[in-house]
Amino acid sequence: MTGVPLLVGLAAIAVGGVLGAGRRTFTVGLLLQVGGACAVGVAGFWTLAVGGTLGAGFTNALRPSLGVDGLSALFLGALGLVAAPALTFSLRYLPPSPRGRLVSVLTAGFLLVLALVLAARDPVTFLTGWELMTLLPAAVILVARDGDVAARRTVFTYLAVTHLGGVGTWVAVLLLAREGAFGTHATIATGSALQVGIALAALIGMGTKAGVMPLHVWLPRAHPIAPAPVSALMSGVMIKVAVYALVRVLVDWVGVLPIWFGVVVLGAGALSAVGGVTYALFQHELKRLLALHSIENIGIIVLALGACLILRSRGSSAWAAFALAAALLHTVNHAVFKALLFLGAGAFERATGSLELDRLGGLLRRMPWTGGAFLVGAMAIAGLPPLNGFASEWLTMQVLLRLPVYGGVGDGIAGAVALAVLAATAALALLCFVKVVGLVLLGPRRGAGTPGEAPAPMAAAVGVLALGCVVLGVAPGLLFGSLVRLAPWGANAPTHAALRLPGTGSVPGIGIAVLLVALTATLLLMRGRRVAAPAPGWACGQLVEAPLNWTSAGFTKPLRLVLEVVLRPRREITVRTEGGVVQEVTYQGHVPHLIDERIYAPVARAALVVAAHARRLQSGSLGMYVAYLIGLVVVLLGAARIGLFR
Amino acid sequence: MNAVTVAAGAVQLVGGVVLAPLLPGLVQHWKARLQGRRGPTPVQPYRDLRRLWGKSAVAVEGTSVVYRLAPSVVAASLGAAVLLVPVAAQAPDWGLGHDVLVLVGLLALARFAVAASSWDTGNGFSLMGASRDLTLSAFVEGTLLVSLAVATLVTGTTDLRAMIAGSVGGAWSSPLLAIGAVPFAMVVLAETGRQPVDNPDTHLELTMIHEGPLLEYAGRDLAYLQWAIAARHWVVLVIAAQIFLPHPGGPWWQLGILPVALGLLCGLLAVTETLVAKMRLLEVPRLLAVGALVALLGIAARLAGIA
Repeated sequence: MTGVPLLVGLAAIAVGGVLGAGRRTFTVGLLLQVGGACAVGVAGFWTLAVGGTLGAGFTNALRPSLGVDGLSALFLGALGLVAAPALTFSLRYLPPSPRGRLVSVLTAGFLLVLALVLAARDPVTFLTGWELMTLLPAAVILVARDGDVAARRTVFTYLAVTHLGGVGTWVAVLLLAREGAFGTHATIATGSALQVGIALAALIGMGTKAGVMPLHVWLPRAHPIAPAPVSALMSGVMIKVAVYALVRVLVDWVGVLPIWFGVVVLGAGALSAVGGVTYALFQHELKRLLALHSIENIGIIVLALGACLILRSRGSSAWAAFALAAALLHTVNHAVFKALLFLGAGAFERATGSLELDRLGGLLRRMPWTGGAFLVGAMAIAGLPPLNGFASEWLTMQVLLRLPVYGGVGDGIAGAVALAVLAATAALALLCFVKVVGLVLLGPRRGAGTPGEAPAPMAAAVGVLALGCVVLGVAPGLLFGSLVRLAPWGANAPTHAALRLPGTGSVPGIGIAVLLVALTATLLLMRGRRVAAPAPGWACGQLVEAPLNWTSAGFTKPLRLVLEVVLRPRREITVRTEGGVVQEVTYQGHVPHLIDERIYAPVARAALVVAAHARRLQSGSLGMYVAYLIGLVVVLLGAARIGLFR
Repeated sequence: MNAVTVAAGAVQLVGGVVLAPLLPGLVQHWKARLQGRRGPTPVQPYRDLRRLWGKSAVAVEGTSVVYRLAPSVVAASLGAAVLLVPVAAQAPDWGLGHDVLVLVGLLALARFAVAASSWDTGNGFSLMGASRDLTLSAFVEGTLLVSLAVATLVTGTTDLRAMIAGSVGGAWSSPLLAIGAVPFAMVVLAETGRQPVDNPDTHLELTMIHEGPLLEYAGRDLAYLQWAIAARHWVVLVIAAQIFLPHPGGPWWQLGILPVALGLLCGLLAVTETLVAKMRLLEVPRLLAVGALVALLGIAARLAGIA
């Protein structure tokens, strides 16, 4: 019975959340929540492994019912996996001040709401949870950033965009409920306008919440300003709950979609992947950079989902199941390493007081545990073997490779292009995280102060997540088998530690890891310890001093030049001369966000103009409002008279 | 395990580990001849390695463990890559599998280690090389993957052993493979750091790409990094010879023809380096994009039933 630990865990989070409100019970409350999150994580993965369902099944009736099946269990497991370290981190990150306690209470509520969406088995509970899932992080940010006007504006943008996009979720869910398809497939005809309408509405509504480009604008704004543990939960779990909903609707409930829709999803994924990483590269603030990388990784997940839809339409149900498993595996992997990176960023901010990339540096020596864990997370997100990011990117590439094999001209070429985009994305992520590792962890200290190692709970939290990156990278097959079995059309894959798919050379993670470690160790031994006396670095005879330090902007300059046509970077150089002698050169450059500037800014301006016109209707005089009401009644009566409502 | 497998394993190990430095040596030797110079003998890389092996490594002030580990990690990744890439369809399994996409990951790991070490030393010229290398790698990997998509379309697999078996033929078994060879050739140029992408002979720091990040290393560290460059030649040239070039089906023939094919490819590299000047850095992505486009057209033609 895995239902008991699940319920106990959720109850512990609820009780712990209440206890966290008290000044004296703050730590106890958080510890209780950590225990609860662990229980939820274990129960989730356990339910996934043994199969079967708990509680109620799906219903189209509008009465609250809750239950858990394999897919919900996977996401609940990921929720626990991220929440337990994030809450442990909070032990020392959140001060027990009134504000810190309120943040902790709201965080517990946020966790419960996420679990509510995952366990919802009827449209009403689902939509309730969905809205609360948007509102609670907004509340956390407002509480944590009390009095910060810029943060308040950002929260407004976040709420506005997610609610406008959220309309799509409502439309999709309510239409599904009307057709009796909430929780069952094969009731909607393939290629019907209704099916495509539902799928598009879901893609827009849930895609907004997941941060799929071009609906992502809120994400790089809202994620960085939340407290680190909440950022970890937002990037690690909240946007994944949107992926959960997308999988439910697109892969299961609407039935087999037409091929072109799969290509549309593939296109959205490709745009998010390469767009997310490209804009992340030009960020100079660590948490904003990480937030943009969430868009990239959501893009990779959506690429695999698109491949799943196409392969299913093409009748290759085995590879479609592998594609679904690739998407889900990357979801879990991204939850782990992104939570690790956000928590690491929080620890660095606490230690140094800054998140400006050019103001950190040298932290690996000063914070060996946190820094080492962050290095593992950076290598995982860059898709390096033998870590978990590599395993799921390998799977995603494999399923994209099958699109030309099983597809026609259109979807085959789309698959090949998506494959190239994914490969380029992976390489760009490597460039980006080399930069992050270099500027944050390596080289000389660039900012003021002498930071020391993070407190034990914070270091332990990132350490556990780093261990998760290694385990999931070395033995991804343990999870993969269960994920393949989640495909609603019934598919199977044997459970090995290695990833073994037909028509591939397989990824024996353990073999690769052992060989790499053994070879490195042997080579280090052979190298010996004979080293000349330490000397300063050589740079054409110049001493490498602080003014010669490379910056974030410098390292990405070649790419900025190559992509100049697309990105249209701006630069401004002012030279101040006095008597023919240059006194001062100031340089300013940035890469504008094109989707913001070209799409959202004009729309926002137009909306403001319309609103200004609409405001004229509000004269403030009572007589005018009575006249409006009478006019409305007359129009409605007239409409009824000519039979418009029959 | 039969005699062919043992022989293939031996060729793979001896070739990849011991004979790999001969490949850049041959290219340099023939290039010098083509340019009317006497040039170094083909065994010059071995002399360099011996000289470096006897020297002490250096320690740069203010560096961390990353700087010390990087050369070993790079050599270990390339060592794993050598074990991963079989020389014939019947090759022993070294516990790594034979998946070509794993090879992409291993090369990326080596690239990460080199670039991270540049950040650790903070040397501007190292960082310049690393940032250029990583920028180009985005385009190289995109092109590599579409050329591999072509090969997968022909052979139906990403297992290198099955890819070798599936692409056998006196002339090209499928015209698609000849098309895929075009982008892969560009990938070979970029991965081996040859002109027109990079100039391996340069001693001007401002123009370096792959050599730049090695500036702060000496002794055995540098020997590892130099060997890794040679192993990179071996890995990509073996794939080029055994998949994208026509090759015979019999396992003994496959092993026998490999030295000839590798020599031919080294000769082609020497000719290319002689004829083509180094490109401007920002032009290289365009070259690679053309390669990727060729591969995509090939795939489209195949799917439309033309090729």
